[in-house]
Amino acid sequence: MKAHIGMTVAALCALSIAIGAQEQEKKFVEARGSVKPVPLPPGGPAPRMSDGHSDLSGVWFSGPTGKANAWSVVPDAPLKEDPVPFRPEAAAKISSMSRTERELKSPGVTCQPVGTPGMWTINPYPHQIVMKPGLYVHLIESDNAWSVVHTDGRPHKKPEDLEPLYNGDQTAHWEGDTLVIDTISIDERTWINQSGWFHSDQAHVIERLRRPSKNYLEYQYTVEDPKVLTKPWTSAWRTYSLGSEDLTENFCTNNENVDQLEKLNEAESRK
Amino acid sequence: MRVTMGILVAMLFAVAPAWAHHSFAAEFDATKCSDITGILTKVAYENPHSYVWVDVKDASGKAVSNTFQLSSPSNLKRGGATYGVLNGSVGKEVLVRGCASRNGEANRYAASFIKLPDGAIQRVGQDVEGIFGTKIWR
Repeated sequence: MKAHIGMTVAALCALSIAIGAQEQEKKFVEARGSVKPVPLPPGGPAPRMSDGHSDLSGVWFSGPTGKANAWSVVPDAPLKEDPVPFRPEAAAKISSMSRTERELKSPGVTCQPVGTPGMWTINPYPHQIVMKPGLYVHLIESDNAWSVVHTDGRPHKKPEDLEPLYNGDQTAHWEGDTLVIDTISIDERTWINQSGWFHSDQAHVIERLRRPSKNYLEYQYTVEDPKVLTKPWTSAWRTYSLGSEDLTENFCTNNENVDQLEKLNEAESRK
Repeated sequence: MRVTMGILVAMLFAVAPAWAHHSFAAEFDATKCSDITGILTKVAYENPHSYVWVDVKDASGKAVSNTFQLSSPSNLKRGGATYGVLNGSVGKEVLVRGCASRNGEANRYAASFIKLPDGAIQRVGQDVEGIFGTKIWR
């Protein structure tokens, strides 16, 4: 893994130079706030907790820079993932929505709780993980959401005690240095991601987190949902890097987008 | 270990897309963008998006208010467009690069940068036109 990150850093430097040359030719607008990504080095081995397990604690930004990358001048390459194996009726339901209708139903747009795995997949802002032996605490800026999960491998609640929750009923265990978070009973109002991927009451989400080195965190998720998918689907690993900033307050209190999109939807419906 | 550049590049950016709270393209038109100059009258530094209002004089000399949607405070403050920077420009002339709303509402835009009174060009939104070097229009 170290070798991978080292070569990744070298490749990013080469890419940055190439992009720098391209920028000079095209005379792009130089603006304060644009980010030219400089990846963090691996930073040494991941710290461990007193029980010997990997300590995932830290403030984590999407991408390799340890900083916000919303205004990066390097485009994201698409993730290499298999197509989501939707059942035909699920695919038809998603594709029947116009772009505007999809926006209006998206928890990310309407500022509804994003839940599991939305805290990772419908969240453009940094994460803070706080751990101690037996406990995982996940905090995000988006609407100041949080989840707390026991990592001792305890079973889920009994079926008669389950209730639909945005974060679902969560338990976690370690597989080597990978923390595996297992979630069921997820409120059907959440989406799996921003694409319109709705889920059923049978959704089962398995998330995996690992810290290959001090400065890097990796996240992957699997969704099983026999009412929506023909078979389970597993994402690519996503890269996060260690920041040195605190999270900032982010309450969604002035959402004008819904009204604006409803006006647009009305105009489009009249056409 | 031999790894091709293509694979490395894919590894580099194995990150979630840098999408915003909502799709820009659903609400604004990146083909209808212009520079708008006027007096910054008000700032709302709120989530999920911040807003600024700019008075622009029409042909008759009457001030017409224009609304500009910016990014979120989370992105703005990390990019240098802090609460103090924006509020410190109220009452002064600014130039805003804005792309028009698609729903027909007049004088409503999403902004990508503001040229502040001190001449600094400050990012406040996505690069929907590719003017900063990366076209991100979702």
